[in-house]
Amino acid sequence: MTESHRPEEPRQRLVVVGSGMATTRLVEELVARRATELYDVTVLGDEPVAPYNRILLSAVLEGTHRPEALTLRSPEWYAEHGVDLRLGARVLGVDRDHRDVMLVDGTLIEYDVLVLATGSIPTLPPIRGLVRMDGSLHDAVHAFRSLGDCQRLLEAIETTDEDGRPVNRRAVVVGGGLLGLQVARALGARGLDTEIVEGAEHLLHQQITSAAGRILARDLKKLGVAVYTGARAIRINDASDGAGLLGQAIGQGQVRVLDPLPRNPGRVSLRLDNGFTLDTDLLVLTAGGRPSTALARGAGLEVRRGIVVDDRLASVTDPGIHALGDCVEHDGRTTGFVPPAWEQAGILAGILCDEAVKYDGARIVARLRATDLDVAVLGDADREVAAGGEVVEVSNPISGSHRRLVVRDGRIVAATLVGDLSRVGLITQHFDRQTVLGPREPGNLLMPERTADEGSAALTLPDDAEVCACAGVTAGRIRGCSSFEQVRDTTRATTGCGGCASTVRQLLGTPSPALATTQKGS
Amino acid sequence: MTESAAVKTHCPYCSLQCGMAISRKGRAGIEIGAWDEFPVNQGAMCRKGWTSGELRGSRERLTQPLVRDCATGELRGASWDEALDLVAAQLTSLQAAHGKDAVAVFGGGGLTNEKSYQLGKFARVALGTSQIDYNGRWCMSSAASAGNQAFGVDRGLPFPLADIEQTDVVVLVGSNLAETMPPAARHLDRLRERGGKVVVIDPRLTSTAERADLFLQPVPGTDLALGLGVLHLLDAQGAIDEEYVAARTTGFDAVRRSVASWWPERVERTTGIATDELRALVDLLAEADRVTVLTARGAEQHAQGTATVLAWINVALALGMPGKAYAGYGCLTGQGNGQGGREHGQKADQLPGYRMIDDPAARAHVASVWGVAPESLPGKGKSAYELLESLGDGGGPKALLVFGSNIVVSAPHATHVTKRLESLDLLVVCDIVMSETAALADVVLPVTQWAEESGTMTNLEGRVILRQRAITPPAGVRSDLDVIAGLAARLDSPIEFSVEPEEIFAELGRASAGGKADYAGITYERIAAEKGVFWPCPTPDHPGTPRMFTETFATPDGRARFLVQEFVGAAEQPDASYPVHLTTGRVLAQYQSGAQTRRIKGLTDEGAFVEMHPMLADRIGAHDGAPVVVRTRRGEMKAPARVVTTIRPDTVFVPFHWVGANRLTNDALDPSSRMPEFKVCAAEVLV
Repeated sequence: MTESHRPEEPRQRLVVVGSGMATTRLVEELVARRATELYDVTVLGDEPVAPYNRILLSAVLEGTHRPEALTLRSPEWYAEHGVDLRLGARVLGVDRDHRDVMLVDGTLIEYDVLVLATGSIPTLPPIRGLVRMDGSLHDAVHAFRSLGDCQRLLEAIETTDEDGRPVNRRAVVVGGGLLGLQVARALGARGLDTEIVEGAEHLLHQQITSAAGRILARDLKKLGVAVYTGARAIRINDASDGAGLLGQAIGQGQVRVLDPLPRNPGRVSLRLDNGFTLDTDLLVLTAGGRPSTALARGAGLEVRRGIVVDDRLASVTDPGIHALGDCVEHDGRTTGFVPPAWEQAGILAGILCDEAVKYDGARIVARLRATDLDVAVLGDADREVAAGGEVVEVSNPISGSHRRLVVRDGRIVAATLVGDLSRVGLITQHFDRQTVLGPREPGNLLMPERTADEGSAALTLPDDAEVCACAGVTAGRIRGCSSFEQVRDTTRATTGCGGCASTVRQLLGTPSPALATTQKGS
Repeated sequence: MTESAAVKTHCPYCSLQCGMAISRKGRAGIEIGAWDEFPVNQGAMCRKGWTSGELRGSRERLTQPLVRDCATGELRGASWDEALDLVAAQLTSLQAAHGKDAVAVFGGGGLTNEKSYQLGKFARVALGTSQIDYNGRWCMSSAASAGNQAFGVDRGLPFPLADIEQTDVVVLVGSNLAETMPPAARHLDRLRERGGKVVVIDPRLTSTAERADLFLQPVPGTDLALGLGVLHLLDAQGAIDEEYVAARTTGFDAVRRSVASWWPERVERTTGIATDELRALVDLLAEADRVTVLTARGAEQHAQGTATVLAWINVALALGMPGKAYAGYGCLTGQGNGQGGREHGQKADQLPGYRMIDDPAARAHVASVWGVAPESLPGKGKSAYELLESLGDGGGPKALLVFGSNIVVSAPHATHVTKRLESLDLLVVCDIVMSETAALADVVLPVTQWAEESGTMTNLEGRVILRQRAITPPAGVRSDLDVIAGLAARLDSPIEFSVEPEEIFAELGRASAGGKADYAGITYERIAAEKGVFWPCPTPDHPGTPRMFTETFATPDGRARFLVQEFVGAAEQPDASYPVHLTTGRVLAQYQSGAQTRRIKGLTDEGAFVEMHPMLADRIGAHDGAPVVVRTRRGEMKAPARVVTTIRPDTVFVPFHWVGANRLTNDALDPSSRMPEFKVCAAEVLV
């Protein structure tokens, strides 16, 4: 820790590019280690707002989370801890020779240690008409990555015409991954007619099997969200073109989805490669993101899918530059989730403070955050099955649940739970802690919990069963009494917590079960 | 049978201090009857209370001082003078050789206020040692520390217990009151009859949880994360009482930011509480007008116990509850005088009236009441576990005087602590029976038990009550007060120590005057007439304070403090070698180390057991009733398995009334309360 630090050493300049969740965590971890005594820390965020909890944006969209409750740390907090937080500061380039970064406004910021936490950027699907000639998105099209995106989408939803009716009443979500489902559910909950278009054969194809995907699609349908899988959006047309299209003969093999809202034909129409055309007002792109690597690439660092880092989370090209979060590639993998980014943040803070720690990959738990949609994905099932994991699964398409555990050497190494999250907490604990289970345990985990048989009630209690724990009184002794008052005075039953009073009343004057059976038999 | 008028007094055990009526039966016997008018229990009692008279006349009662014989190494009978002379002489020579702090005192949360007060004074004045602490550290000290930080004062319940009948939602965080203080559960039942809701948070589905409308079963050691997650969702939903927060608190903005990163799915992964259960709890809280949050040992006995309590206090404050009628936050104190025991100076850092020993004004005031110079009072000593850890071979005190505590059974990492006790030059234990700790002692002093002496207790509500003497003690035993006075005289104490409880209480009142726990206006007469008086009660005409915080908090600015809490988690996490969580607790028929209850025939003593879920039993091949071994990094024990579906499958539970459980428990300490982590450690279970 800081003990190794000698005050006369010049303080190092630590510059962090990006102010997302990974950076926030990194700064918290540095502050916790008093590393601000070692480093002058500068955080450069291109968004104009204080660092916030990005993963709750879909909950804000759904209306279950107040947007004001997103902020993770206020600018004052950074100032209090001596961290120079610069918002709206977009970095143009990194000059490794001069060890500085340049902002769009030309400002040069020198560093001794650089951390790239540039996150990911939404992938734009190859849809014709999506991007205008000037490079901007079609105005019916929304990305969903930042608070700004979320606010623009909320504004679009809330915009009304002169009669007070919402202008935008229909939405198509492109992408059936976790984010796509959350956004679709949120839009559905906001009262929009929502459809999902997913290029793969089923929803969440990176995480779950097709059987689970089908169950999920059905759940969504029940919630009023239609799902088109195995279909790619290829073209977006303005409604004016679309109106023309209505009058045209539809080409061979093309299907026009019957418009359930004929008076609101939608502002745009979306052509799919399976011949369907969907009318809509809004198009939301959630078709994944990719690591944001332009800066690293420009600086000559090795980049494959992400910025390639070693176990010290340092660039394999330049050990003076670290990277973490969505933008990195470690051991051939990129993640795109908060928990591993936070784990990296803790480890990187340790590395920056000369602790002997290293990163060896994280266990990933992905949970869908959407009301009435139950999905949990633990680990990488395909990879684990390929590595010899055995599958224990219970699928009930009738009740709409699919639960699958991948078990290797007695440990749950991956799991998919759709439609039924009972025991999700316990299964996650076993997964995170790599508990070695017994041979029957994985199966038992997927079985319903046996509940106590409450129907049997007092009548069948054996005489030696304890009825009143406070006073230690058995059913037999109560059966031997003639009145509630006698029970109270002679046995002290019911005089403690009082919880047994109703059982005592039922027992009074009833024969013991053995006698009851005899009487029934006679 | 002759019956004299029944004496109104209180049960000897837990902090509920149920009112009871003791009447004489025959020549030596006593009969326990109901005292229906006492409002806390209204005549109800559990079997511990009903059978509490049985220790009277028990053959196991100690009635003669015992001294370890140098030649045989066995304890032999001795006269009081011989025993006290011996103790005083050894204390004097140890202090002469090694300094004042070579002698330490260990008290208990079961001692009366008068004894707690005298013990603190005895240590500081007669012995001149700073080394005094007590077993209350292992009880509710985390809640005490949290209460002081958030509200500026620590009174377990800042309202009468019966108030919970009038709340809308009561949240019990780590309390099994239906078993640990059964009559208290009646208040929950009345609340439910009124339409109120009960929420229970516990890794085990206890008989308290059976009464719950909502039961959450978190991973042991994660109540803190759960509290952070609750506040996150309350804020997300806009359920914060902004007006209250602005008017009566400070620090909310930082807390609000700090919980922004505790979204439900993260809480689920950490605590094992599914998001829909968390949302169900938050919906209940958000909709209720009056919410009462109560913590007990389950939340408090952790290395992050204080932080856990503060996180739940933050929830109560954010909802605008503390100070509101029939709402707020409270701690369900455990030991009989758990509350009073922490107010009168037997804590390492405190003087009477809940004053801090490093506060010059407090020292001056107390010293003037005692008639000594302020500078003669020693400073802060070590906390309970740190004190025991330092004894003998640990480089600390060479002698220990124990009053009202059975350390061998109740200390964490007990094997280690026992070794420290064995390495002492002198161990003196005052007890009513030959407890496991007394059995190690060089000198054992037989003392009176509850109905044989008078004194006051302060129950979990901060209500000062009177235990009246109902019967004559057996010949040969003396009160702890006599022991203290006898030793003080032999140690040439500069001041005299009274043995009259009522006289001591009056002095205690003067010493506490102006302090946070102000008893100055309370007298034995008032207690008897008013069925207890709530502190603070500064003057004879002051009515006492049943409900605190109605106008202001006890902080310098009168506002409650929101304090940011970070979740770290249990000090010891399960791993490949120790794969399950071990948690400990109590059963209905026993009390604490069982020194009293295990000797009462009317209380079932089935011994320790290891509670586990059928899935875990199946994994390790355990069968209900058959022995299993529980092993941790610190020790092991063997006991029959009790296979139940009511416990988390990744957790085992062992009751701590018998020697064994605390050989397993972790001695990691809370940084603020110095509470050991009794409630969770990593264990291996095998057949």
